Amino acid sequence: MSVQNRVSIQTLPTGVPGLDEILGGGLPEFSFNIIAGAPGGGKTTLAHQIMFANATPERPALYFTVLGEPAIKMLRYQQQFQFFDQTKFNTSVRFINLSQVVLDHDLEAVLEEIVKEVEAASPGIVVVDSFRTVVRKAQSAGSDVELQGFIQRLALNLTSWQATTFLIGEYDEGEVRDNPVFTVADGLFWLSQQIDRNSIVRKLHIKKSRGQASVPGLHTFRITEAGLQTFPRTLGLNDQEEKPRGHRRLSSGVPELDEMMGGGIPEGDSLLVAGSSGTGKSLLGTKFIVEGIRQGEPGIVAMFEERPGEYAERAASFGLDLVTPQKEGKLRLLYIRPLDLSVDETVREIIDTVKELGAKRLVIDSLAGFEMALAPGFRTDFRESLYRMIGALTRTGVTILSTVEVQETFTGFTLSAYAISFLSDDILRLRFISINGQLRKMMVVIKMRRSTHSIDMREYEITSEGFVIRDRLTGYRGLTTGVPGPWSDERGDTHAPKDEPESNQ
Amino acid sequence: MSTTSPATQGLARRLLAFEAAHDNATGVDGAARVIEELRLQLIKLAGIEGFRALLSRALTLAKAEVPSLNMVQVSADGSLEGFEGIEQSQEAAATEHAGEILVAHLLELLVTFLGEPLTLRLVRDKSPDASMDGSDVRTEEKP
Repeated sequence: MSVQNRVSIQTLPTGVPGLDEILGGGLPEFSFNIIAGAPGGGKTTLAHQIMFANATPERPALYFTVLGEPAIKMLRYQQQFQFFDQTKFNTSVRFINLSQVVLDHDLEAVLEEIVKEVEAASPGIVVVDSFRTVVRKAQSAGSDVELQGFIQRLALNLTSWQATTFLIGEYDEGEVRDNPVFTVADGLFWLSQQIDRNSIVRKLHIKKSRGQASVPGLHTFRITEAGLQTFPRTLGLNDQEEKPRGHRRLSSGVPELDEMMGGGIPEGDSLLVAGSSGTGKSLLGTKFIVEGIRQGEPGIVAMFEERPGEYAERAASFGLDLVTPQKEGKLRLLYIRPLDLSVDETVREIIDTVKELGAKRLVIDSLAGFEMALAPGFRTDFRESLYRMIGALTRTGVTILSTVEVQETFTGFTLSAYAISFLSDDILRLRFISINGQLRKMMVVIKMRRSTHSIDMREYEITSEGFVIRDRLTGYRGLTTGVPGPWSDERGDTHAPKDEPESNQ
Repeated sequence: MSTTSPATQGLARRLLAFEAAHDNATGVDGAARVIEELRLQLIKLAGIEGFRALLSRALTLAKAEVPSLNMVQVSADGSLEGFEGIEQSQEAAATEHAGEILVAHLLELLVTFLGEPLTLRLVRDKSPDASMDGSDVRTEEKP
C-alpha cells in the first residue's frame, strides 16, 4: 500500500498543557486507552480534563462510574477545576452510574448497559472509572476467559461506535504483564507520584501508544486549580527549529572583560561564571543584563536565592537600575523557589518568559540555588537535567550567563561542583588569591568555544562603580592555587613582583 | 420555620407549581412526582444507593420540621412509601407544605454537594420548560 493510501489517524486534543506534545500530536481518535496508577495520582482528573476538552452536544462524553468514588462526591471535587465547564454537565458530559449493575449482575450485563448508552448517545469520549472494579468482579468469578472476552467486546463495540475510550484503574507496575486489559489497550498512561520529605514529584509515563510516536521517558506534571499540566522532556521545543546563532558579540557591560573574551560573549552562547561567594558573580550577571537593556535587548534574571526586590536593591547600590526596565517590559526578574520544582517545569517557565518578552539575554543566578529549589527526587539527575536545560534554552537563541558557586580550595582550581563545564560554551573563573596579607580577586577566561581569548589572569576589584579590572598579574607562580609565590628563574633566583615587598616571599 | 434557604424553598415551590400546571398533580401527588422525576435523574448519576442515601437524609431533616412525614419511608429502590397517608390525615394546605419541605431539603442537599449551577441543570433536565433562573438561589441567604 502506498503512503498516500494509508489510513490517517486523526488526533484529539487532550486539553492538558504539554500532553499533546508528549503523545506525539494528541490522542489517537477511536483509541482504547488505560489511565493507570496509584490512588491520588490524578487519574480521574486527567480523564475529566480530556473529556471536557472534547465533549460537544453532538459528540458527548459518557462517564461511567463503577463502585469507585461516589459520583456526587467526584463532581463536588472536580468542579473546583477551571476546566470543569458547568454548562456541559448533563448535556455534553453525562455521568452514568453502573454500580448497581456490577453488584447485581455479571459482566455481560455491564457490557450491555454500556453498549446501550453508547448506542443512544453516540459519544466521542467514553470513560469507565474505575475499571479495576469491573476486573475484580470478573476475577472473583474466577474466569479469566470471561474477562478477556468482555474486554475484547468492549473495545470492539466502543471503537466501532467511533468512541475514544479511557479505562481508569488502580494498578501497580507488577500487574502490567499478562494482564488482558493491557494487551488490548492501544494506549497506556501511567501516573505515579514520589513523596520525598516535604515534596511531591508527579510523573507521567506513556508506556504504550499504538500508531503514534510518543516522547519516551518520565515527564513531570503538576496538578493545580487549572487541572493537570505536564512538562514534556522535550520542553516544548520539539516542533521548533533551532534559532541560528548570530555572529555578534554581546558586551558583558565590562569593557576590559569583553576584551579578554575576544570582543564579548558570542551571541547565543552559554557562559558559565564560576567563583566562590563574594567574587562578584551576581554583579557580573546584573551588568550583563543592564548592558543588554541599554542596547535594546530585553533580559531575564532567573533567581533562586535572593528575592527580586533585594536583587534590584543590590543592583541599585552599584548604580544599576533594574526597576525601570521591569516597568517598561524589558526585564523580568523570575523568582523561582517553591522547593519542589522539576527542571522541566522551571525551564518551561523560563522559555515561556523568553518568548513573551522576546528576551535576548538570560542570567541564571545561581545553579546551586536552582538545585536547592528542586524537589529532592530531581536532584539525583541534576547534571543530566542541566544538560537538557542549557540545550533547550540555547535553542531559543537567547544568550545565557549562569553563575555557579565553587567551593574554594587553596590547592586546586575547580570549575564547578557539578562537572558541568562541558555544557558551557564559555567559562570565566573568578577566584580569591592570597597576596601580601590581602585576599584579592582574580579573573581568567578558561574557555571560549568558538574563538580565541586572553589567557591573562587579571586582578580585579569591585567598587561602587562596579568592576575595575587591572593589568595581568605578573611575577607570581601558582596563581590558580590561590596562594601564589614569587616566580623563580632557571637559576633558582626569585623575582618579586614590583608591588610586593621582599618580606612576603 | 424551615431550615432550608428561601431560595431553595422558592425553587421547590416552582417545581411543584410546574407539576400542578402540567400534570394537574397537586399536594403529595405533586411532591411525589417531583421526587420521582429527580430519582430517575439522580439514580443515573449517583446510583440507587446514592439517591436513596440523599433522600433518606432529606426526609430525616424534613421530619424534624413536619412531624406528619414520620409515616413516610424511603424504599430500597429509592422511591417514597407512605406518602399518600399524609394526605388522608391532614388538610390540603398542610399536605402541600409537607411535600414542599421535603422537596426543598432534597434540593438543598444537592446544592450543598453539587453546587447551585449543577443542581439547576439537573432540575432543568427534569422540567426543561420550567422557568427557573438560579439568580434567587445565588443571592438569597438563609434567614
